Amino acid sequence: MDPEQINEFVVGYLKKKGFSSAAKDLEDFHHQNNGSSLSPIDYHNDPELTKLIRSFSQQEDDPTRYRECYSKLRSWAYNSLDLYKHELLRVMYPVFIHCYMDLVGKGHTQEARAFFNSFRKDHEMVHLRDLQKLEGVLAPSHLEEMEFARSLRKSKVNIKICQYSYDLLLQYLHRTESTLMLGIINEHINFQVYSGQPTSSSDDIEAVTIVGSFQDTANHINQKEIQWGLLEDSLEDRLEKTGGLLSDSEKGQGESKDDADDSKKRSTETGKQGSSIKKLKKDKAGNATAKVARLETSTVPPTPRVKPELALPVMSTDVEQSILEDLRNRVQLSSVAMPSVSFYTFVNTHNGLNCASISHDGSLVAGGFSDSSIKVWDMAKIGQTGSGALQGENDTNDPTIAPNGRRNYTLLLGHSGPVYSATFSPPGDFVLSSSADTTIRLWSTQLNANLVCYKGHNYPVWDVQFSPFGHYFASCSHDRTARIWSMDRIQPLRIMAGHLSDVDCVQWHPNCNYIATGSSDKTVRLWDVQTGECVRIFIGHRSMVLSLAMSPDGRYMSSGDEDGTIMMWDLSTARCITPLMGHNSCVWSLAYSGEGSLLASGSADCTVKLWDVTSSTKSTKAEEKNVSSNRLRSLRTFPTKSTPVHALRFSRRNLLFAAGAISKPAS
Amino acid sequence: MSIVPKETVEVIAQSIGITNLLPEAALMLAPDVEYRVREIMQEAIKCMRHSKRTTLTASDVDGALNLRNVEPIYGFASGAPFRFRKAIGHRDLFYTDDREVDFKEVIEAPLPKAPLDTEIVCHWLAIEGVQPAIPENAPLEVIRAPAENKPHEQKDGPLIDIRLPVKHVLSRELQLYFQKIAELAMSKSNSALFKEALVSLASDSGLHPLVPYFTNFIADEVSRGLNDFQLLFNLMHTVRSLLQNPHIHIEPYLHQLMPSVVTCLVSRKLGNRFADNHWELRDFTANLVAMICKRYGTVYITLQSRLTKTLINALLDPKKALTQHYGAIQGLAALGHNVVRLLIVPNLEPYLRLLEPELDDEKQKNQTKSYEAWRVYGALLRATGLCIHDRLKIFPPLPSPSPSFLHKGKGKIINTEPQKRKLSVDSSENRSPQKRLTTKDGPDGVQSQDHTGAALMEVDNPVENDKQPQNSAQPSSSEQTSDANESESRNGMVKESGRGRAITMKAILDQIWKDDLDSGRLLVKLHELYGDKILPFIPSTEMSVFL
Repeated sequence: MDPEQINEFVVGYLKKKGFSSAAKDLEDFHHQNNGSSLSPIDYHNDPELTKLIRSFSQQEDDPTRYRECYSKLRSWAYNSLDLYKHELLRVMYPVFIHCYMDLVGKGHTQEARAFFNSFRKDHEMVHLRDLQKLEGVLAPSHLEEMEFARSLRKSKVNIKICQYSYDLLLQYLHRTESTLMLGIINEHINFQVYSGQPTSSSDDIEAVTIVGSFQDTANHINQKEIQWGLLEDSLEDRLEKTGGLLSDSEKGQGESKDDADDSKKRSTETGKQGSSIKKLKKDKAGNATAKVARLETSTVPPTPRVKPELALPVMSTDVEQSILEDLRNRVQLSSVAMPSVSFYTFVNTHNGLNCASISHDGSLVAGGFSDSSIKVWDMAKIGQTGSGALQGENDTNDPTIAPNGRRNYTLLLGHSGPVYSATFSPPGDFVLSSSADTTIRLWSTQLNANLVCYKGHNYPVWDVQFSPFGHYFASCSHDRTARIWSMDRIQPLRIMAGHLSDVDCVQWHPNCNYIATGSSDKTVRLWDVQTGECVRIFIGHRSMVLSLAMSPDGRYMSSGDEDGTIMMWDLSTARCITPLMGHNSCVWSLAYSGEGSLLASGSADCTVKLWDVTSSTKSTKAEEKNVSSNRLRSLRTFPTKSTPVHALRFSRRNLLFAAGAISKPAS
Repeated sequence: MSIVPKETVEVIAQSIGITNLLPEAALMLAPDVEYRVREIMQEAIKCMRHSKRTTLTASDVDGALNLRNVEPIYGFASGAPFRFRKAIGHRDLFYTDDREVDFKEVIEAPLPKAPLDTEIVCHWLAIEGVQPAIPENAPLEVIRAPAENKPHEQKDGPLIDIRLPVKHVLSRELQLYFQKIAELAMSKSNSALFKEALVSLASDSGLHPLVPYFTNFIADEVSRGLNDFQLLFNLMHTVRSLLQNPHIHIEPYLHQLMPSVVTCLVSRKLGNRFADNHWELRDFTANLVAMICKRYGTVYITLQSRLTKTLINALLDPKKALTQHYGAIQGLAALGHNVVRLLIVPNLEPYLRLLEPELDDEKQKNQTKSYEAWRVYGALLRATGLCIHDRLKIFPPLPSPSPSFLHKGKGKIINTEPQKRKLSVDSSENRSPQKRLTTKDGPDGVQSQDHTGAALMEVDNPVENDKQPQNSAQPSSSEQTSDANESESRNGMVKESGRGRAITMKAILDQIWKDDLDSGRLLVKLHELYGDKILPFIPSTEMSVFL
């Protein structure tokens, strides 16, 4: 090659890149040495260098080069050794989306679209929903506007890759001088190289999820300590204690009855601990801070116990007594002892039922409708008039209207938009509802009237949930926040912000110290109620999270998503124990049985499924390493008559209630 | 480029009154339009999910527009899906069919029916993990579709499964074989070749695929060829050979075969010529029937009862021809002596009375009829005679192994006369309960446990001999035995060991007494009915007792 030409290239390149002074220096240098043949760098005769310079001097923003380089890299990755292929293919997705976004960012809309469409198929299986989002990005301004794209642009993707695969990749990139790809990879991928053999492709869920900027923060956050134990003074504990008494002496039965009237008697029976509980209860009523002074030493049950961080409401002795009675009569469920399922079918909803909720004892059923109304049925009354509707004698078409023609439900009107969620307080005396009109309303089932309207969210409130002890409730909204409220204040107590998209569902931890939220950003987060901080991020879902449930022992959480996958998480490690595959449509509802041995899931595919969760938790304890290989067992599938299952609830006696609106089969 | 073409932007611009839109502007706007539409759809899908639906409706889009603070598009109710129509002449232009509505029509139209109010009905989706089969639940077929399909198929299977494969599997050789056999059977000759064929049928393995064809063939030919004696005989021979073949599993086809066989037994007319020896055919078939019953009676419990019912009905119907009666008698006789005793003997007296006029040469002028009647009489005599012979033979005392005692007994009992015997029967009957009581009272009385049968008899007979003078009306051996028992118990020869065996022994003895009584009476009765004709059937020893 002509030296002059090379000089021109170099100068041109420097100029183009904005190194004008360097270019000037070089020119000067050339002018000075015009006569002499000496050159400080013999780049004229170094073929490697010339090649490099030439590749630099090629037109940088040629849109077709993206396509070329990417397809080369792709074919190389697909032809690589089987053992390392899946790791190399993992690199392809971030490269792909960044190539696309680069093209869009440079304004080559048409090329970007063509590029996207030609390679879209490769990633559709795993990243379909992300691709659908990105597909619409066609202008540089969209990149700025769209949060997902922005977070992708800003952040680096972590990819675990074994040493050899990494070397292979680098070798390839150097050999082919695909600086474009190298640039993208350097810019957007953060390799975590480890020595040894590559891991199997299936188990590393995180590898396939690109979660924007918070991958690192998630890892950081998940280091935080959480106390998933139950409250020290839970009713279950008390039941165990009274149960112990019963086994100790026959008179225990009488005592447990007595203690409703005179609790001090029992406290003397149970000893020091009981008295401390009693004292605490009184303290709580008066002064919440007194609880700090509680005795920690007394709790030695298998699951650790924690203190409540909220001042919890006092439970009336009547209610407490009935709950204890229920717990005593609880049916023990297991993989061999299945629950009975009572199904409440909504008929004539005209496609308007948005949500359904069942009270803790199953006697009240509330439905939220798209015409802004809430309807509450008292099933106990219907059971009386309808001559044993529980026995399933009623025909589906048989109207259960009272003879005088009046409707047999309570109509609650007040919202001005579709009602998206309703929840009963634990004793069933209040109903909370959330609506598209951005408000949450509190209704009394005794007065059948609206008591409070809570305004705070700026967008539709997707979900609202009473805390396990009542009084407090959590809501979540399209405005990407979750909020904690108490019934007596119209302002929220806490605002949990951090999700990157809508917060779609919320659930309380049984000890009331945490809430979990599921979001359209495909993550589930756990928040500390007291501090309002995010303490866990659960990454693994591939679509919007629609339902959440906490195991009664507080250790596990399940979440169901739009695709029908249910994931069971260990709260302490933030890892997925195992995904439960089986549903083929949205999982609207999840519920753990009273003692936590079974998980029920209700789905839009018109089935209720029961899962055995004891086997999995046991085996995880036994073989922590081999978590991914063991699967939770699907025990039963109960198909309904074309009725998507909207709500599930295990009563305290372990009767499973389910509710859904019958839909006319599409014909 | 964007999926929204720039023409669309231009059309929309025109429709809202912007006429001077630059093409570049349209080009710039198109991708943005697409992006906004996607954004709205994404929000609409969220609304849909929160309404717990899986189909997107217009209200969801309205909700999404609300979320974006855009005024919703009015006029689209969530009803029926929109019908988009193609604009004529334009390939990619669609419009919604928007009819003009006349106010008058709307006002005058009757009010629509009020929609039904929302209700809740409750049912058990599952009870302790099991779904009850109630109308509210999804039908069971749907639930267990994969599990239940298979048994259904299997149920339907046999007809298809057996016939179709046979049809296909049947080799050329087998076809030829079948044709040859059928030809021979039809040839109406009793040739040596046919005999060979029968042997082959009875012994060859690998004929099983032909069984359904043979059964069909036989059934068809029997129903068609009732007039053809030789054919029927050949067919019955074929059946016999098939039954004999150890390699053939004929059981599933018995139901097809039996009607033809029974036809050959009790049909009014077999063969059309006088010379046809249909008696022989009936005898042969009777044996065949007996053979089938013996072999498959255990598998088909109802087989014998159905068969005997058919036969006894044929016998007891006076309207039926004598030939039919003959066949029935032969069939029953072939089934065994018990059948004869239980079914023929009780009906013997009335039947013989019925037969008597036919037997009388003077009354019955018709030679054939008379002959037939005598055949029937002979058959009856033979059946009952064989029966009584058999019965007498099985009873132990007389054919006991000790001839010396026998001779003794013989010498004494030979004097007994029938009339006397009859009396004795009555008396013994009167006494029999008492005797049974004795044995029941004292199982110790049945000391025979440590005696072998023969030894018992050895003991019995002397006792009998001893007692004979005292109780001359002691006709039957078992009574003697019991008496012997009694006497022995009286003698105090009590052995306590082996009580269990003693009890079974007792039962057997009970039965034997009863049977023996019956057979005693039977013998008398038969003698009354047949006179001396029955005597040849009585074994000599018995005869000696009897006479």
